[in-house]
Amino acid sequence: MSATTDVARMLTLIPWLLERPGATLAETAEAFGVAPEVIRRDLGHLDFCGLPGLGGGDLFDVSLVGDRVVVSMADELRRPLRPTPDEALRLVLTVDTVADALGDDLPALRTAVAKVRDALGIPEDVADVLAEEGPSGLERLRSALHDRRRIRLTYQGRSDPAPTVREVDPWALHLQDGVWYLQGHDRGVEEGRIFRVDRVANVEVLDVRAEVAPPANLPPPRYEPEPEDPEVVLDVAPAARWLEGALALDAVVEHDDGRARLTFRTNAPRWVARLVLMTGGGAVVVAPRSIRDEVVRLADAALRGEVT
Amino acid sequence: MGDKAERLVNLTVALLEARRPLTFAEIKRRTGFYAQRDPESARRMFERDKDDLRRLGVPVVVTDVAFGEEQGYRIDRRDYELPDVDLTAEEVTALAIAVHLTGAEGVHLGLTKLLARAPDPVPLDEPPPVRVGIAADAVDAVAAAVVTRTCLAFRYRAADGTVSDREVDPYAVVQRRGSWYLVARDHGRDALRAFRLDRLQGRPRTVGPPEAFDTPDDLDVAAAVSGPELAAVDVEVAVDAAARWAVESRGAVDIGRRHGDRPVLRVGGIDPNRDLPWLLGLAPGAEVLAPPDVAAQVKAGLRAVLTAHGASPEGGA
Repeated sequence: MSATTDVARMLTLIPWLLERPGATLAETAEAFGVAPEVIRRDLGHLDFCGLPGLGGGDLFDVSLVGDRVVVSMADELRRPLRPTPDEALRLVLTVDTVADALGDDLPALRTAVAKVRDALGIPEDVADVLAEEGPSGLERLRSALHDRRRIRLTYQGRSDPAPTVREVDPWALHLQDGVWYLQGHDRGVEEGRIFRVDRVANVEVLDVRAEVAPPANLPPPRYEPEPEDPEVVLDVAPAARWLEGALALDAVVEHDDGRARLTFRTNAPRWVARLVLMTGGGAVVVAPRSIRDEVVRLADAALRGEVT
Repeated sequence: MGDKAERLVNLTVALLEARRPLTFAEIKRRTGFYAQRDPESARRMFERDKDDLRRLGVPVVVTDVAFGEEQGYRIDRRDYELPDVDLTAEEVTALAIAVHLTGAEGVHLGLTKLLARAPDPVPLDEPPPVRVGIAADAVDAVAAAVVTRTCLAFRYRAADGTVSDREVDPYAVVQRRGSWYLVARDHGRDALRAFRLDRLQGRPRTVGPPEAFDTPDDLDVAAAVSGPELAAVDVEVAVDAAARWAVESRGAVDIGRRHGDRPVLRVGGIDPNRDLPWLLGLAPGAEVLAPPDVAAQVKAGLRAVLTAHGASPEGGA
């Protein structure tokens, strides 16, 4: 952490503490999202700050009584410094995204976002999150979570040839970079699973209470490669480089002509084959052979009008 | 480092409390800092401190004093202070939950500044069972230019892969379907454009002074990001059981006809260019039957896939 970050926090600490006489060190640390030792060090510095020049009487009076913080004689900094443009935009965009994601779950957030935009001078025509209509099963999943019901999902897994039916005790919905996921306990395999909501063909809310509670720290839905997952190498033309946004890449090698070689690992080879198909020849599978063959088989079958 | 943090806080207080711009000599006298024997290095240290404060958002103003002989430094309290935000305890709670649900650390200090003089949050039994992942720091590279209305220059890779240098009036940042865009007027093309922030090559640089342009009153950021008006045609697709749900999820209806032993669905609002990848990805489980030009486009795309992989289309390995 740099000295300038410390300064930004210290300039905020004074007004925060002036507003909350007798706040504990722990409360203060939590509000600032740092360890108590960091606040203790800040206070040590602030005790040497204040109005310049005229001797000890003009310094801030900062003391720790027990674990309670007492600040006085610091009226020069009674109000916080305005957030920087980065901070302001990040904050507005973050809370706006959450407000859209939560819908009616947290009504006070809507009015709060409007007030924050107003205070920071960031209207929607300067920074906005365009809310998309969620996938069709989303509202039913919300209500199942709300009522703690078990659900029956018809789900098209990335590597399944056709949708399958699973019973799930839902844990949480997760909006990650614009894509909705459901996390829950799959009763069929008796394990935690992640489902992309836009691959849910049907949701039935069962008249059964969800039994399996979520683990304390639910990790975000991110693909972590297993050792046995194959490495895939694709050569992509400029027009097919949108693929990069759909994949968690290990490496990108740029070529002079705008083409690139992409390397990544996958646990869903059929899904990768479909992605390659979608590029209409813009992406070529270099490895592994099995995905290359699958791409050729799918395209060939489609052109022959074969029904799979 | 501790000394530096203290020095920066004290410099801030000194410049905030000054009733008129202070010269460097006066700052030295009042604060007792920058007392090095070498005046050049003292001056350099002060300049670095001033730049650090500005980076933090502390609005240090420089003006000419002593009839232009010297420079004076001051912080205008109105530009420094965040006015009180009239939030209720419930709204404070909602904001704290929102930031907590994202797990984002980059917004913590901004939120704390905003809530420094607001009521404390009310205790809440349980947060909603929703998590949100959002990488809002993607906008950092253009944030200051957007907020201060300063022109930007950058190198950009377009969707078709071509790379070019652009100079723009940055109007807005927008997130749509997980992607971040800069909505801006492109000087070279004299037209409104949406640039994907992940296609900017390197860090953009500002050009010229702040407040260089006005955002048009009729700016429609949603329209700018959606791109040009799309065609919307009805497409008829023969589907097998595996592909049926994917087509139905776009609102397709069964028109009661069969193609071989497969039912035929009609799906509306298809743009033959934008949606071609989607149609290709459904093959061979879904076969486009009509309109004929869309069916031909899909077939051409599939042939291109075979050619690109060194297999000859329709028959023969």
